[in-house]
Amino acid sequence: MVEEIKERFFEDLNSAEDLQKLNAIRVKYLGKKGVLTAQLKLLPSLPPSERPLVGKLINEIKVLIEKELSSKEAFLKEAELKKQLLSEYIDITLPGKYTPFGSEHPLNKVLAEIIDIFIRMGFSVEEGPEVELDYYNFEALNIPKEHPARDMQDTFYISDEILLRTHTSPVQIRGMIKRTPPVRFIAPGKVYRCDADISHTPMFHQVEGLMIDENVTFSNLKGVLVTFIHLMFGQDVPVRFRPSFFPFTEPSAEVDMGCILCRCHGCRVCKNSGWLEILGAGMVHPVVLENVGYDTERYNGFAFGMGVERIAMLKYQIDDIRLFFENDIRFLRQF
Amino acid sequence: MRVPIEWLKEYIDIEVSAEEIAKVLTNIGHEVEAIERFEDDTVLEVNITPNRPDCLSIFGIARELSAFFRKPLRFPEIYLTEEKADEIDFKIDILDPDLCNRYAGCIVKGVKIEPSPPWMARRLEKCGIRAINNIVDITNYVLLELGHPLHAFDLDTLKGKCIRVGTPQSVTGNQTSLITKTLDGIAREIPSSGLLIWDAEEPIAIAGIMGGLDTEVKDATENIFLESAYFNPLSILRTSKVLGLKTESSYRFEKGTDINMLEKALLRATFLMRRIAGGEVYGKLDVYPKLFAPKTVILRYRRVNSILGLNLSKDYVYDIIERLGFEIHGSDEYFTVTPPSFRVDISREIDLVEEIARIFGYDRIPSELPKAQIGFDDTRERVAIAKNNVKESIRTSCLRKGFNEVINFSFMGSQDLDMLKIAENDERRKLVKILNPLRIEDSYMRTTLIPSLIKNVEYNVAHGNRDLRLFEISKVFINKEKPIEGVPHKDSILPEERTHIAAIFYKEKTKTLYRDDIHEFYLMKGVIEAILENLKIDNHLFVRSSEGFLHPGQSADLFINDIKIGFVGTLAPFVYENLEIRAYRPRIVVFELNLDCIIQFSKKDIIYRQLSKYPYIERDTAIIVDSTLESSVLRDLINQHRSDLIEGFYIFDVYQGDNIPKGKKSIAFNLRYRASDRTLTDEDVDKIHNALITYILEKTGGQIRT
Repeated sequence: MVEEIKERFFEDLNSAEDLQKLNAIRVKYLGKKGVLTAQLKLLPSLPPSERPLVGKLINEIKVLIEKELSSKEAFLKEAELKKQLLSEYIDITLPGKYTPFGSEHPLNKVLAEIIDIFIRMGFSVEEGPEVELDYYNFEALNIPKEHPARDMQDTFYISDEILLRTHTSPVQIRGMIKRTPPVRFIAPGKVYRCDADISHTPMFHQVEGLMIDENVTFSNLKGVLVTFIHLMFGQDVPVRFRPSFFPFTEPSAEVDMGCILCRCHGCRVCKNSGWLEILGAGMVHPVVLENVGYDTERYNGFAFGMGVERIAMLKYQIDDIRLFFENDIRFLRQF
Repeated sequence: MRVPIEWLKEYIDIEVSAEEIAKVLTNIGHEVEAIERFEDDTVLEVNITPNRPDCLSIFGIARELSAFFRKPLRFPEIYLTEEKADEIDFKIDILDPDLCNRYAGCIVKGVKIEPSPPWMARRLEKCGIRAINNIVDITNYVLLELGHPLHAFDLDTLKGKCIRVGTPQSVTGNQTSLITKTLDGIAREIPSSGLLIWDAEEPIAIAGIMGGLDTEVKDATENIFLESAYFNPLSILRTSKVLGLKTESSYRFEKGTDINMLEKALLRATFLMRRIAGGEVYGKLDVYPKLFAPKTVILRYRRVNSILGLNLSKDYVYDIIERLGFEIHGSDEYFTVTPPSFRVDISREIDLVEEIARIFGYDRIPSELPKAQIGFDDTRERVAIAKNNVKESIRTSCLRKGFNEVINFSFMGSQDLDMLKIAENDERRKLVKILNPLRIEDSYMRTTLIPSLIKNVEYNVAHGNRDLRLFEISKVFINKEKPIEGVPHKDSILPEERTHIAAIFYKEKTKTLYRDDIHEFYLMKGVIEAILENLKIDNHLFVRSSEGFLHPGQSADLFINDIKIGFVGTLAPFVYENLEIRAYRPRIVVFELNLDCIIQFSKKDIIYRQLSKYPYIERDTAIIVDSTLESSVLRDLINQHRSDLIEGFYIFDVYQGDNIPKGKKSIAFNLRYRASDRTLTDEDVDKIHNALITYILEKTGGQIRT
């Protein structure tokens, strides 16, 4: 009898495909009017000696049914959830809805790197006007009117006395006048020269650097600039200093680094020399220090200047300077 | 300058390769930019710095190498015998001894004008000079060889057997300038202060720059007057600049020639003329009214070491200076150094320090980081840091909002302001004008960044870029009303430089995968709000803009504390008419803010506010008001009614259309209430909320939307 119930229950259980049907089975066997309840109700009619055994059997089967039902229920619930999730699938290969972050201009990106390196070396950042007095741009820098060195730079003039600064060097003078030694700052900014061709734009960016203190040597100038180039371009880049001429420094130097594109073997960018001009530098000329009233016997120092476009072009292997100012977003977004 | 190695070796015996010579020259300050190979020779292209005119010759280069390699220097053969000196009937007269310190000449008679011998023509050619005839070539040859410019006149074309050296003013007494026809066949106007060479009647050459056409050496020339002179560098520079005429000769004179080389150059040229052109050389004339006085320089050898960071011995320093041809006398502490006449660049101790550094070799100087004191001006640094922080905060806000940073030239043209119909009395018309612009469209410094950004959009659209968000942080330049005249070196005459931030948004209408239909004005306004929030500025106000180039209905001026900071808005329809953007009804939205102005309002200190531990209650309300009512009215009313319990307010819907009467609109908003010290009950909130809504309805004449 009991075995028969068991058999029928498993038949029913196997045919249950959803929770609703499973519930019907539960009611059929365990409900108030269910099969097992009916069997229990028959107990009193049995002989007292059989009652405990039959009762035990019924209980055992009840436990079994409950267990089977709950495991089947868990299985069906799981299946149902799976089915629901499957129906909620979306095309995850469609692009996400987003607004891309904007991009920094490559020149400002490189400028920020340069500034960061010098700030870490203890330099502050100084600014000066872009429309500048002839005095600061030339005269105070030991380039008097009619000095041949003025030929080296094509100047945009506003008036006899006012011009667009041709380099960031006038900030040296302004910075020194405002301070007393020790002085240590860089001056990044825009500069202007009336020149426009494949390799020149009428506006470009420079970073000027100045250090004035007691006992500053040419050796220190080399130390600072070699450190800078190594941080900017890599520890193993060779650096070369060779004599040059600037009216506001003496001794003056042109600083070259080994061509990073051809690893000094010679290529188009380095004009087969293996070297790239990267910085102009030198010990600040005593005339310049005298012009700002510094005691040249006590103080001396060095100054340097570099072109930001040049560094950015080398760093990103950009071959045309004009790209920086065309502002094509296909270009800008690469940075 | 071009240096053929074969020629160079005439003056110095060096056994090293051309590459090695190039390397040495570069290392001692004469950068070799290129090495050019010829069948039988190698030519170095050497970049001579403007302070070293003594190296503008093959001999000059040999002299440098001789100092470096410690090799003897050979001077070329010169003519020493003076023939028939007594027969000379010729006079030289210097009228301006300040402009011409020395003038020498030789008469060479009976020359035969022919092509130069091949060896000479070839050398000239390798140096980039075309051979003309033996006499002219010899002057050019000696110029390249010794660096001293010479000029040969056809003696028979000179009138009056004399040479006079003077400005038009000293010769004629007139202030007027004068016309002279130069070798290149051009009639040139000579300023009254320009130095000329004259015969007895008229000018025959522009001193040190170019000879005259009438007195040049021609095929039929038989007799020569050969000039070798020293002209004042500044005078030559000035005249050359005024005339816009630069020659090999003027280039050397304006940088300073060797006054003692003058005579040797003359004798060298006469030697060559005699040998090549078969001339008979007559005695030398030499007028030298202002004798060259060498200047001595004191050199403290300890100073050499303290500047270079080296530890060179006294003997070593002495040796370098001596090798370079300087006269040097030593004492214990310092040397007295007399530079040779060709070293016009040496006048101070530091010049000698540089000599030692370059001969010692920059690469041999160790590189060592400085042991420095910290010089820190905290007041200045604080200002700089604050300014930089604000700038970077604004930059970051724009970048995060998806704007690409651009950099434009600082120039603009008046047509850019006309395009925007900027009024004549607008501050942006106070222009800084460039006297020598590259293009007429770039004649002024920018007073606004908007025109450049509009051009960036045009450029990008033309290149197929259709979704543009661009911003620029740059200076604008406002001319001062009245520059103070006659105060040199003073900043007061400089224009005002302001840092601006400007941005532009343009997006072509395209079908997109996801809905994105916000009006661009709100997007741009949102960027400004993000900028201000990031800087903790909350007392700002947007009012309808007064900018004429913006759409009157879609633009706003930004004020902080009654100061106009900038504007935001859609460009007015007339602006598009001139643009190369072919889209149907394009919409470009811009903003421009004065960054320097914003800085003063940014809150430096952030003070944390405690977070309430108590729950909030929200109420959503929709009201129907006149469609012209602006949301700011609602905000103001809520502010006026402000209760400490109102924590937040935002509008979540503005609607016109079905179910709303014509001329009306529905505004739906959310208010959030919270107390900092207790849990609010619904009753508490109802009381406040109902009072507030009643107040709003009363003031706006609106009604609740049900």
